Order: sequence, then structure tokens, then C-alpha cells
Amino acid sequence: MPSTQEDPAPPKLSSLSQLISAASASENPLAATTIQILHNLRHQHLWTSLQIHDLPAHINTPKAPGTIPHGSPLDSTTQKNNNILPTSLISGIPPHRVYTHPDEQLYMLEKGLHDDDLRQERLFVIPTAQGQPWSLHRMAAVFDSLAEIRVTDDGAESRTEQSVDPDKASKLAEYYYKKEQVRATGEWGGKRLLLAMVDRGLGGEGTVVYYVVQEGEVKPRQN
Amino acid sequence: MADADEDAIRAPSNNPAQIETDLSDETQDFRLLSHLNFLSDPSSGSLPRRGEKDFEPNPTEFQADVLSASRQAMHNALAYPRIHNPKNQIVGIYAPEGPTPPPQVIGESLKTVDEQQKSTESAPPAQSKPESIKPDGKGVGVSPETCVYVPTPKGQYFKTMGQADRWNRVWLLPEEALYLLERGSLDIRWPSSLIGSDSNSESGVSTDEPSIPMSLQAAYACFIGRAGLTLERFSVYTGLRRLGYMLIRAPGWHDSIEQSETAPATSGTQKTATQPPSAQRGPGLAGIFGRVFQWIHDPMSTASTTAGPVAGLGIHRNYADVYRKLALIPWYDPVTAPEPHLDDTTPPFRIVFHVYKPSTTFKKTAPPPPDFRIAVLSTRDQTSFPTLSQLGALLESTPLDPPRGDKMDRLLYMRLRHGYRHVILAVVDQGVVSYLRVADSAFGKEKLYEAKNGPSGTKRNRFSHGSKRR
Amino acid sequence: MDLTPTLPIPISYVSGRYLLFSIDAVTYLRREHNICGVLIGTLPQIPQQNVFLGLPLELTPEEARLLVDKGVACIVDEAKAQLGMKSLLEEDCRRYLHDLEAQGLGVMRVQSDRKEQQREQTLKKIEAKKAKAKASKASAAAAPADAATTTSTSTTASHKDTPSAVVDLFAADERNTLSPNSRTSSSRTTASQPTMGITPATSYPPLSHPVSSSSSAPLLPAPTVPESYALFAHLHSRGYFLSPGLRFGCQYVAYPGDPLRFHSHFLVVSAEWDQEIDLMDVIIGGRLGTGVKKGFLLGGSEKSIDEVETEAERVDSVRTFSIEWAGM
Repeated sequence: MPSTQEDPAPPKLSSLSQLISAASASENPLAATTIQILHNLRHQHLWTSLQIHDLPAHINTPKAPGTIPHGSPLDSTTQKNNNILPTSLISGIPPHRVYTHPDEQLYMLEKGLHDDDLRQERLFVIPTAQGQPWSLHRMAAVFDSLAEIRVTDDGAESRTEQSVDPDKASKLAEYYYKKEQVRATGEWGGKRLLLAMVDRGLGGEGTVVYYVVQEGEVKPRQN
Repeated sequence: MADADEDAIRAPSNNPAQIETDLSDETQDFRLLSHLNFLSDPSSGSLPRRGEKDFEPNPTEFQADVLSASRQAMHNALAYPRIHNPKNQIVGIYAPEGPTPPPQVIGESLKTVDEQQKSTESAPPAQSKPESIKPDGKGVGVSPETCVYVPTPKGQYFKTMGQADRWNRVWLLPEEALYLLERGSLDIRWPSSLIGSDSNSESGVSTDEPSIPMSLQAAYACFIGRAGLTLERFSVYTGLRRLGYMLIRAPGWHDSIEQSETAPATSGTQKTATQPPSAQRGPGLAGIFGRVFQWIHDPMSTASTTAGPVAGLGIHRNYADVYRKLALIPWYDPVTAPEPHLDDTTPPFRIVFHVYKPSTTFKKTAPPPPDFRIAVLSTRDQTSFPTLSQLGALLESTPLDPPRGDKMDRLLYMRLRHGYRHVILAVVDQGVVSYLRVADSAFGKEKLYEAKNGPSGTKRNRFSHGSKRR
Repeated sequence: MDLTPTLPIPISYVSGRYLLFSIDAVTYLRREHNICGVLIGTLPQIPQQNVFLGLPLELTPEEARLLVDKGVACIVDEAKAQLGMKSLLEEDCRRYLHDLEAQGLGVMRVQSDRKEQQREQTLKKIEAKKAKAKASKASAAAAPADAATTTSTSTTASHKDTPSAVVDLFAADERNTLSPNSRTSSSRTTASQPTMGITPATSYPPLSHPVSSSSSAPLLPAPTVPESYALFAHLHSRGYFLSPGLRFGCQYVAYPGDPLRFHSHFLVVSAEWDQEIDLMDVIIGGRLGTGVKKGFLLGGSEKSIDEVETEAERVDSVRTFSIEWAGM
């Protein structure tokens, strides 16, 4: 039946709502947050090669928030909180570089390199929702789990740049060499994640905000 | 001596650029101190511009040299001594036991000498026994909390500070004494009673006057912690004094308050007959929520929707009538708030200083109503934001000060911002003071539907509940 | 300037707060230990402003604790220490007064010398101006300036025509003249002519230094500190200078170098390891920091304050996270 303007039926669910309800029917409520943020990354921020990574189970056993001392037995609140911990991370490739460390930027400037010259990099995103309990312990656990995550290689990162002049190619090679070196020293920043938070509070309308979180003291960008 | 630099700073600068970049917010390069031209030219009250700073250290010698020069400048500035020119030196004497009559009086009164005509230091005949002279200040006629006296007071400072006794000595409260000593305007001496040896006779100074000067360090040790003077309160006192404000202790100074002090009814205080008993709803500002919940649970108390539309079934000829009928939610009216009681407040949310602008004519014997009222908080003792009842009680301990004047009448946002009662919180974080003005804004009194052209007021002065005052 | 004061440095505990009164201690701690504290006192030479403040220096309990743990400082109950005035010997008092008198004479001499210099300079300028046929105007300007010079008590350099005199005020050579150690010979005959009175900054002398053998100053245990101390010590161990941060909306402000010369890098907030953090606070902090080109640094120790055995362990048990707005 073709729909007319007098059609009294309620409006259809939005595409996003449909996506969320379809994808998370069987899983825990956090899956909805993950799907919603994935959707936001793909369609609003035009990320590509998006993947969802399950976090290792052991990170989901932090102690309950508050005053429970170390080594005390877990109580029921712990169980409750476990349910709303992030169980997965999202990774993907942004269309433009999201973050460049100030020293890296300086180095690129010296070499005459631009963001566009560089290989695209996969970034990890922690999907969270407002009101979700959080702690330093959890943040540390998520960062620690990064090492164990395996990314499915879909070729997006290893795509080589075409028609690069030899001069630039050698500079790029220097850059990548330097980048590999500073990875150990943390000179260009530590382990890096994007914290995504969905506004779910009273009157929350689903806005997603993104913050760069890095381990350690990483000096701020100046622009 | 006219304190030229004091006058310079008193002239308030209306340059908005200076307000936006508060120089005292950040550590300033002490090398700039040499550019303080108001030092040499009292007519210009301008402060140095923000010094250029670097983003991060680099291994250059230049940077190291500049830093070293800055530190040297700082060192030299801080090493500058507190000196007293003999021409206008003011000497004070520490009285650890509080106010007492002059020692001669005690001695002479025993002999019942009747020579009060002879000198200013002679004893009144009423003083019969030294035992009757207790360190409670009663026998001297000044506040028992004063602890330094100036035998020969002179100079401008005593116009706004201190209390004179009948022997023409001026007694200073600990904060007054410490402030004056710190700025190099008062030379406080140890009393002979606290010095092991009586060196006075040797020093060539007259025996009446103790001769060992009190160091800044000793003065802090003796005065901070005395009679309720915390370091935080002193930081606020001295910080505002430096800017030319006058400060006096408010009734809330002491944590224990016996009698409930009602704020003086100013000319603007309007008392409404419809004022409900305060016991019914507790402290006013917090009580409003109680009333809201009461209203929710008792729909019959106001217009009930069960009987039809809230606005009634009649014919409505204008929007104002409709809006008036729709105004169901009770709101707090600061004008009808209960009588302020100081004992409703809880320390540290209590007014400890009355503050006067430099332009206010201040008479220390009869202080006018203050321009500002300040409560002092220490971040190490009070780590959370005040609760509504703490803040409400604090606000209600201030007199009603409704927005008045041409500008207020015209500008809605100015009225909201000014509020009906207001208080300043001085939050002291380890020596760093932030001032916040908290006002009791009566949104309910501003009927937007009655305004002809909607809300008016400059956008720049948008209402903000806690705004930094400088 | 690069002298080292007698160690450990006595920190005055006054009514629950930690204060320093010795300029040499303040300079030394800043230079060698990256401890800045907060100046809370009035500068006697420019007492009517809040941009440049003077002694005393207030230390946070964290700063005091760190210095005590390093063995650089000790805590003295200052009110009790001042009772030592009572046991001063007559001889000590006399020598102390004599020293102060000598200093006062020194100050007077420096002042009169400078006045002389200024007068000469002014006269030269007046001459020069007269040569330019502006005689009347020039002398009118000089008269009030001269008056200001003679009436000023503490500020010796108050002259329009010689801004360099203000710089001179803080020149190093002068400090030596005024320093308590100078032994300007002054005969007792000058007593008839009153000298400059001096209010010393510290109480040593006449009291003996609290860590000297002759002192009976009451020492106090290391300050108790909040849980955020671990993060404080961690950042300090990495070379950061830390200041109280409430004014900037955080707990500490961290500078990569001396705040005299460098802008701060981080707004620092400490949390306990399992303390529940509202994610909104993380966002608020990130937003606040990004707005002023600073990072928001959230950190804390895996171990509580009494769980660590060594200071090294305390510093190592801390993890921090830097947060900035992603710009998307």
C-alpha cells in the first residue's frame, strides 16, 4: 500500500535506532553504545575500515569503585558494575589525522612533510556513555589491553602512496624510522586512545564527543 | 607622609584590558618590577604588561640566562629590607596578654598619685589596684583581642585601624599589626616580659620602650592563630588592604556565636506581612524545594488540573492573564525571606569581614554599612562546594539589598546579576585567593510576560551566578 | 646568589600552615629543588599592589612533605621556637641590636648616596632642558620629584627622570650592603643620631638556627598529606614545577620549568585508583584545558599513601593520562 499523507501509522524508527536494535538484540546494553558510536564515526566523521574488538575478559574484573581495599573479596556491586564496563573497543581510520604530537609536528615541518603525505593510521576508540562509572583503574586496564588486540589487516594501512618523488620518499623513510624510534621513548606521546562519550543523560540527544587520551604526561598541542 | 603609591593604586582603572588579564593570576617575571613606573611616577597607576614566557625549556644558554636574571631579580626584590626612617618611625609593642594599662599606671596607681593633669600618661584616679586590671581589655577600653599597642600613634594608618585607649595609645588587632609590620610601616618590639635579659638600659633607648624589634617571622608566629585569625583570613585581609579596601571584622568572626545577631535593617528592607513562619519550611532558600515537593504531592493546594484547564475555562483576553494563571510553581522570594539569623549559618560559611571600597567614606568609630561582605574558605579544610542550605543560610545572614537605580530598573540581566542578597566567597587555595560573588537572584520576580519588549540588557552582562569579582 | 643555606632548612609551622621567611631558603629551594610555593606577603617597597608579592612563602603540605622526605628541610613549631627569645642572653641582645644599628646605618648611607646621585642627575637634566629654553617647565617638574625623594621612607628610588634608579634598587651590590652579615663598623657615638630602624625577615639571629646544636627548637614530624601526594611527588620527580590549581579549576598546575619563565602544561587532578570518576568530569577537564592550550592530566597511584615502602615506589606506582579535545 503506498503511503499517503493521511497515513496514521507512527513514524518509522530512524535508521540508527533500527541498526542498534538489530545489532544488539542479544548482547549486553553496552553493545548499543558501541554500535551508536561506530555509526557516528562512519557516517558523521567518515572513518573507514572500522572494526570492533572484544576486550580481553580479565580487564573486566576491577574492584568496585569507592573504598574497597585491595585484596578484599568482590561484592555484588562489582558484578553490577562489570555489566556496564566497555567490553569492546572500536578501531578505524579517520579521513584526516586526528592528533599530531607537537614535537612530531615540528619534525614534519622541518622535513617539509604534510599530514596528507603520511600513511593513514588506525586509531582506537573507547565507546562510553554518560553516567557510566569510570575509574583510573579501568582507564589503565583499557590501555593495558591495547597490546593484546589484533587488528584484521584489510590492507587499508599498508596502502602505499603513489607517484611520490624520490626526495619526498627519502624524507618519508626518515620520518617512519624516527617514528619507530620514538615509539619506545614516548617522545611523540604515549599510547593513545580516543575516548568517545555519548550524551545519554537527562535530555541527552545522542551527541558524541571525542577526547584524545594518552598515557603519561604528554605536553599539550599549541594550536 | 603621603603614601604616593597608595593613592596611585586607589584610582580604579577602567581599562577593560587590565581586567581581562589579571596579572596576579600567574607568576610574574620579577624583572618587570623595575618597570613599575608608578614607583617613580605616582601619577600613572599602570601595572606592567604580562611578561613573555616560553612554552617549554630548551637547552639554549639564552633561556638559561633569562631565567637566571629573572630569579636574581626576584631574589633582590624579596631581599629588600623593611626599614623605618627615624623621622616617621612608628613603634608598636607586642602585648601577648592583650590590652593592659601602661606599666607606669600600674605602679603609680598603687601609690595613688593624683597627677592626671601633668601628662598624657598619668593614671586616672579610678584605677585603684593593679589586680583589677585584667587582660580582658575592660580596664583599657579597647577590644580584648587587640595585642599590639602604639604608644605614640601618628600617620595615616590609624585613621582606619586600631582603637585608642584613654592613655592615647592605639591598640591593634593581630591582622592590623601584622599587615602594618609586613608593609614596613610599623616597627613592633618584643615586650620586656618575653625577652630573657633586660637589655633596654644598655641600648641607649629610653627604658619605657622595649628595644628588640620583632622579625616578620616572629610576627607571623605570634599573630596568626590568635583570636580567630587564620592564615587564610589574613591573606584575604592583606590582599584587599593592598588594593586600598578597608576591612573590619564582622560579627561572624568567631565560630561560636552566643547571641543571634540580626542584620541591621537597611533602608531598603521591606517587611511583608505575608511572611510565613520560618519554622514551617526551614531556611528560606533551601525551603523552596520542600515547598515544591509539597505542591507536587498536594495538587489541591493550588489550581488543580482535575477541575479542568489550569488557566481556567473563562475567556482570556490577553496573554498576561493566561501566563499569570499558569504560574503554578512556587518560587522563592528573597524579599519575604525569614529574618536573618547568624546562628543559622555554619562556619566557614559565615561572614567574617565587612569590606569598604576605597571611595567609601569610612569612619572607624562608626563604620557605615559595608560595600561587601566576605566569607573566607580554605580549600584544605573545605573541599566541597557549599550545600544549598549552607549557601542559603549565608545569604540570608546578609541584609536585603534589592537592585535599585536607573540602570537596574532598565536592565533585567543587571537585576538578576545583582540579586537581592549577595555575599563574596574568598576561596583560599594555599595562599592563592579567588573571589566569587554569590547573589540571590529572584527570577520569579521578573515577569517576562509583563515586559513590553522582552528582556533587555546588554548581552555582555549576561547573568552568571558566580562571577569573578575584581 | 647561588649559595646554599644551612641544611636542613627550617620550615615554620604556623597555625597549621607551612611558611618560609628566609630569602636564601626560598631562592635555593626554587633553584635546586623546583619548589616554588606561593608568595603571600607584602613587598615593603611597593606595598599597594598584588601583582608582585613578597615573603613569607607559603608551602603546601605536599611541598613541605617532599622536602622533609628528601632531608632538605625540617618542620619547626614556630610559636614554640619564638619562646626562645626568653632565654636570650643579655650579650646576645646587645650584639643583635648593634648589628641592626649597623645595618640601619648602611641603609642610610646607601640612601643618601643615591639621593646625591639623583640630585646631580636631576640638576644635569635641568641644565640640559634649560639649554633647550624650557627652563620654567623643567624646574616645575623637578621640584615635586625632589620632594618625593626626601619624604619617602622605604622607597628610595622615586624619581621621574631616573627610571634606572629603580633597577639599582635591586642591584646585587646593594643587597650585600644591606645584608645582615655586613659588619659595617659603627661606633656607639652614632647612637645620639637616630639610625634607620629595621624589621628583619627572619628570627635567626637573635635565635640560633633550629638545626644548630645550641638550638632547642621543637621539631615536628613530616606533614600529613592528602592522597594526591603520590601524583604530586610523581610529577615533581619528573621535573615539573607544581602550583596550587584551584584558580584554574584543578588541583595542581604543572609547569615544565620555573613558572617565572614558562607557561604551564597541565591542569592536574588526582584520583584514587578505584575512586569512581564521572566521565563528564573527564570531558569537562579536557574541555577546560584545551580552551587554554593546556592538557588535562588525570592521575593517581595504584597504591594508597601508606602502602608504599619507599619514595621511589610511590613515584613509580603512579599512572597518568593526558586528555585533550580531539577536535572532532
